[in-house]
Amino acid sequence: MPSYEPILTKNMLTPGYTGSLVDYERAGGYQALRKVLGKIAPDDVTAMVIKSGLRGRGGAGFPTGVKWGFLPKDYTGPRYLCCNADESEPGTFKDRQLIERDPHQMLEGMAITCYAIGAETAYIYIRGEFVLGAKILEKALAEARAAGYIGRNILGTGINIEMWLHRGAGAYICGEETALLESLEGKRGLPRVKPPFPATHGLYNKPTVVNNVETLANLPYIVNRGPEWFASIGSPPKSTGTRIFCVSGHVKRPGNYEVPMGITCRELIFEHAGGMRSDKPLKAIIPGGASAAFFTDQHLDVKLDFESVAQAGSMLGSGGVTIMEEGTSMVWAALRLMEFFYHESCGKCTPCREGTSWLVQTMRRIWTRRGRLEDLETLTDLCQNIAGRTVCAFGDAAIAPITSTLKHWRHEYEELIRTAEAAGSAELVMPATRH
Amino acid sequence: MAKSLKSWLKTITFYEILVGMKATLKHLLHYKPITLQYPHEKRTLPDSYRGMLALLRYDDGTEKCVGCDLCEAACPSRVIKVVSAEVPGEPTKRYAKEYYMDMTRCLFCGLCVDACPVDALGMTREYEWAVYDKRQLYLNKQQLLAIGDRSFPVREKKLELQHLNVAFFNVAFKHLPPKEG
Amino acid sequence: MVKLTIDGVPITAPKGTLVIEAARQAGIMIPHFCYHPKLKWDANCRMCLVEIERVPKLQTSCSTPVAEGMVVRTATTAVTQAHKSVLEFILANHPLDCPVCDQGGRCDLQDFSHEYTPTTSRFIEVKRIFPKEYFSALIETQMNRCVQCLRCVRYCDEVMDVKALAPAGRGTMTEIKHFTHHELDCEFCGGCVQICPVGAITSRLSMYEYRPWMLKRADTICTYCGDGCQITIQTKENKLIEVNTAHGAGRNNGDLCARGFFGYHASTHPDRLQHPLVRRNGELVQATWEEALGFVAETCIRLKMEHGAEAFAGLIASRCTNEDLYVFQKFMRLAIGTNRIDSSARYGQINGVRALRRVQGTHRWAVTFEDIVAADALLLVGTNITETNPITGLKVKEAVKKRTATLLTVDALVPAVGTISNIANLAAHHFPVHPDRFGHVVLGLIKAVVEDGLVDQALAHRAPAYVQAIGDAVQALSWPALESATGTTSGALREAARIFARAARGVVLVGQGVLRSPGGYGLTTNLLDLLLLTGQHGRPGCGLAPLAEENNDQGAVEMGTVAEYLPGPCDLNDPTARERIAGLWKEELPKGPGRTLTETLEEARTGKVKAMFVVGENPVGSLPHAARAKDALAQLELLVCQELFLTETAALAHVVLPACSYAEKDGSFTNTEGLVQPVRRAIEPIGESRPDWEILSALSVLMGYPIEYGDAKEILKEIRSLIPGYGLLGAGPNPPRPDEAVVSRYLREGYAEDLANRYAATQPTEKRTGHFTLLVTQSLFHSGKFSTRSTGLLEIQNTGVLGLNPADAARLGVTDGDRVRVSNTLGELTAPIKLLERIPEGLAVFPEHFDEEARRLLGVSTDPQTRVPYCKSAQVVIEKL
Repeated sequence: MPSYEPILTKNMLTPGYTGSLVDYERAGGYQALRKVLGKIAPDDVTAMVIKSGLRGRGGAGFPTGVKWGFLPKDYTGPRYLCCNADESEPGTFKDRQLIERDPHQMLEGMAITCYAIGAETAYIYIRGEFVLGAKILEKALAEARAAGYIGRNILGTGINIEMWLHRGAGAYICGEETALLESLEGKRGLPRVKPPFPATHGLYNKPTVVNNVETLANLPYIVNRGPEWFASIGSPPKSTGTRIFCVSGHVKRPGNYEVPMGITCRELIFEHAGGMRSDKPLKAIIPGGASAAFFTDQHLDVKLDFESVAQAGSMLGSGGVTIMEEGTSMVWAALRLMEFFYHESCGKCTPCREGTSWLVQTMRRIWTRRGRLEDLETLTDLCQNIAGRTVCAFGDAAIAPITSTLKHWRHEYEELIRTAEAAGSAELVMPATRH
Repeated sequence: MAKSLKSWLKTITFYEILVGMKATLKHLLHYKPITLQYPHEKRTLPDSYRGMLALLRYDDGTEKCVGCDLCEAACPSRVIKVVSAEVPGEPTKRYAKEYYMDMTRCLFCGLCVDACPVDALGMTREYEWAVYDKRQLYLNKQQLLAIGDRSFPVREKKLELQHLNVAFFNVAFKHLPPKEG
Repeated sequence: MVKLTIDGVPITAPKGTLVIEAARQAGIMIPHFCYHPKLKWDANCRMCLVEIERVPKLQTSCSTPVAEGMVVRTATTAVTQAHKSVLEFILANHPLDCPVCDQGGRCDLQDFSHEYTPTTSRFIEVKRIFPKEYFSALIETQMNRCVQCLRCVRYCDEVMDVKALAPAGRGTMTEIKHFTHHELDCEFCGGCVQICPVGAITSRLSMYEYRPWMLKRADTICTYCGDGCQITIQTKENKLIEVNTAHGAGRNNGDLCARGFFGYHASTHPDRLQHPLVRRNGELVQATWEEALGFVAETCIRLKMEHGAEAFAGLIASRCTNEDLYVFQKFMRLAIGTNRIDSSARYGQINGVRALRRVQGTHRWAVTFEDIVAADALLLVGTNITETNPITGLKVKEAVKKRTATLLTVDALVPAVGTISNIANLAAHHFPVHPDRFGHVVLGLIKAVVEDGLVDQALAHRAPAYVQAIGDAVQALSWPALESATGTTSGALREAARIFARAARGVVLVGQGVLRSPGGYGLTTNLLDLLLLTGQHGRPGCGLAPLAEENNDQGAVEMGTVAEYLPGPCDLNDPTARERIAGLWKEELPKGPGRTLTETLEEARTGKVKAMFVVGENPVGSLPHAARAKDALAQLELLVCQELFLTETAALAHVVLPACSYAEKDGSFTNTEGLVQPVRRAIEPIGESRPDWEILSALSVLMGYPIEYGDAKEILKEIRSLIPGYGLLGAGPNPPRPDEAVVSRYLREGYAEDLANRYAATQPTEKRTGHFTLLVTQSLFHSGKFSTRSTGLLEIQNTGVLGLNPADAARLGVTDGDRVRVSNTLGELTAPIKLLERIPEGLAVFPEHFDEEARRLLGVSTDPQTRVPYCKSAQVVIEKL
């Protein structure tokens, strides 16, 4: 098994490391902040991040430095940084570990970002269910504040950066950046229509940067060891650095694995995660959290970086890799994910609101052996009608399980429907009505 | 020669007259009267006969009509007048509080029956509606329901129980206070 | 301007226009549910998707602003397919209950379905069903029909600032709810009913009574306040079915308040007088028109012979149309021959008009509603505008919320979140002062203007003596005295004065709290001084706007139905005006004096006035018992009332003549901003009732001075010959410019006469401990006594409930719904209480619409200059029962 140098998980892998400020400082923490504050111009920090090739780790993979650069230069009012710690994607659990085991790493990254974008206030929007994470972060914030890493006049440089923790109330959609901002403003967590983008009209209509926990945690290392070093890791030029993959499903050792971008699925599953759980053949891979399209065993040699995965028809997303072995019903898997999306659809826009409820009902019908062949046509059609017509990316994500399973395992659907037809139970379905 | 013989034969047997009288003679033999001795005899009505209009009920005896006024809108000769309201004691349920048909104007086009979304209107096979006073042809709801009752003894199942996906139709909510006034 | 092409049609639109609007202007309808021109776009229905060249995905046209060279296509295959699919999604869960849905026939969803979808659905799953909850007595919700466009929620928040509705639940189970567990408690403006594109929110008042295509429409003007909203009364077979208003129509631009939307049933109340009544043997008995009019004419002629024309007096309500008012004064002046005419404009409106005439020579506002919306700084004095003039209130809300104007308010109420909106919540500076100290705040503002050098330089140059005199007057006031009287700091007053003086456009709105309170005339004049000093006077878009309470207060003054004016209004003793009017009427005008309401009552009491015509006015029911109107009217030998209902005054009458309500007659109303708007008949007159002018016209014929007209239009024509340009001119008012000659005269000498009085900070009487100030005010849900006959409004408010501050209530040991005894030396009343945080401590507020008992407690005083009777507050003791 090839071993790689961990970056983000390096501290927490050190035995005895508690994630306290003392431990973090001992491991070289907050040096990057000292190096940056007042010594490097904010624009140069941004340039450094652009040069490092760091891309957002939340799902969309947008280049972080470029995003910062979108903030209006001549705007004099307040700007905000929001740390998106609302990690709710099924199969993703990297941020949780980063928060719980090494919170200061992320806080330092946030402070650097605030400095780079000129924000004096940062909010951490943490998922409501992360009770432990929230407690740890509160403690870490208090420690950092006491040590003068955040607050007024940081490290005597005259720079003020205040950070606040906000706990979400349990909606998946609040992980979407604009819905997160709405929720943070105290409103109903519904995504906003873009444009305008948060970079110009964000929190309280002010320029705002929303970054993922993992993205922010990378920053101290980019500053400390230079952008060139960071850009040399992974599969440059487009996907640099390491990535924490959350491997779950039918593998021997599920868990978080920090590996350079660009390793293959095969390597991740069979070398790092210890291979298939009951040594059955692999059937399906979800490469990037629940909203990514399924891969089959044909895709084992796809490189796990942004471009290669996208080229293969899925997305790297949030890094949640779910493995399914032979014998798993793909209809069931798609239904299970569909139920999640139905439950979490915020209800703002029509196609997603009504579409997910329709899809989930049809899927349930097929799974309970009451399906009909026309249903597959309807499913495909509905998915097409949702795609690209919704306010946010949720709609596109919600249909991924159905479209990809229909593409790769249509025969499984047909089999269920044939059983239904044989049993005559399709007749139990209510007739279509006229309107 | 043969030709003249033929014409001679035709002449002495009055052939042309027979040809001309063919239909008459046929009727003489197979007599079938056209005129019916109404009212002692009545014609068989065609299946699609459009007779007197009637209001129908569901199998549990409730009126089908929901007072939607669509028949009134569909009627080309303004026969129908519907006064809709909330069913007393059953808030949010709609019905026709009053329903009138001025049959003197009706041209039995059947558009109202087509327009009815709940099949509450039916065309009976009744036609003996001659009256001495035209006003007797201004029928109210009770009269129309009575016509329906005698003409359609077989009643449909209640709409709410037909399909689950249209179940929510004109349902009463007993826990709500009724509309005032 | 931006050039773009929509469906091949080249269009020019201003920058920032949305594509959907640009398309509409070009006559291309893009289907939509959630978009409404009044609201900020939300783009949630996804119905308005269009194809824009060089943009990969379909875009929502309601959220895309036009751009130079943009090429939009609204009818391509992809777009039509998108419309179809979105409709299919919406219809998936929408119940098929169109036959029983009140929206059926005017439903956006129905229309679009007919246009875009096949008749069969692929949806064979189970439809979503919400458990039905009781919403309110007036608004019915049927959440299964909801398409979650959130228009209602956004309207309630953005336009009304009430925030009564909210979406609850997630995804397909999102439903519109209100925040409380009990039934809906809000402003009941009906906006949600009107704005709902489907039948999810409907009016319970007219539920199931109609189909849209059966309704007959009459565009008319609401009669419940001075705002003059255009309403469309929808009738079916002479029955009032509903009221609504169209976006873009009238001064209200599609907005209404509870009174306008739900108050229409008052006209057809069963208690309406249907026949003339004549008193025989002390009893009012039914009579024919001939008998009643004959009796009146005969008695009038006899009394005129015996006592002369000066023994007659007339009183008319300013709820009547201009035509009624005009014919009334003409009848009184010509057929009777007296100038003793007054109207209910005397209760307060006259204060504003007199102040405007005195300072700027106009009798109308120099501003319009548009100027309020466009103002940079708004000063509201003594007006709970959201309750008294809700639609003008909406203009203020729009100015503050959408155009970020700075709002300064001076009122007794304090900012508090409640079930109805409160304008003080939006104020940058709110001065919560006791109702008799609004004047002190204004004096403080003027003092700040003078001391901080905010006086307009041009004015200082033009009228140094005036500036000096006012400067001296305010110098005499001390800050500590003002601070203690107003309970605010000089800093706040200075800041407010600075904001107002520096604003590019400043508008002052003054309401009933000033106009109907002691010193109202002086204070209104002071506000004009403030405008003059800050240079906000005379500039376009700036000025003073006294808010009228009754729908035709303004018309009553302009028609000359107040003691001091002839039609125009012209001063009663203005010889040129008298000559001109006499020339047009071809009749000499009476020489006698005008007499105001209070004076007339006094003269009736002393027996000087023997006969009175009272049209629609109810002095016995409006004035407190202390005014002894009942005793005065009982002395009369002839009291003729033209009324809709048998009011307290009509019950004393010798003859009661049934009149038509606004819904049954044609005519015109002049709203508070001076716009004359047409009133149109919606239903046939109830019973034998007739329009007031017809009754007067018939009487005049019987009395031998025929004043005859064919219809209301003919009267308006005559009015127009008297007052050039009066009438229905355009959609908006053309506000008069201040008359510079009058302004100069005021600056030269006019200000001086009562300067000392106006600028004296009278030490307000210290309140005795344990005493409350009882204010009898207008409620949002009623207007006068007329609306208390409306089924809909009674559902919201049907008794007089005393509003109290929670802290006061706690001190008294009472809580919501408890009954208290309110008493003073004049009388007492018992009433249930309601705790309202917006009422400050020491104040108790009672609605004037249910004040039969409360009127016992009120004293009455009269303005020395304008003779306005002030009778809206009293000192009382409140005890727990």
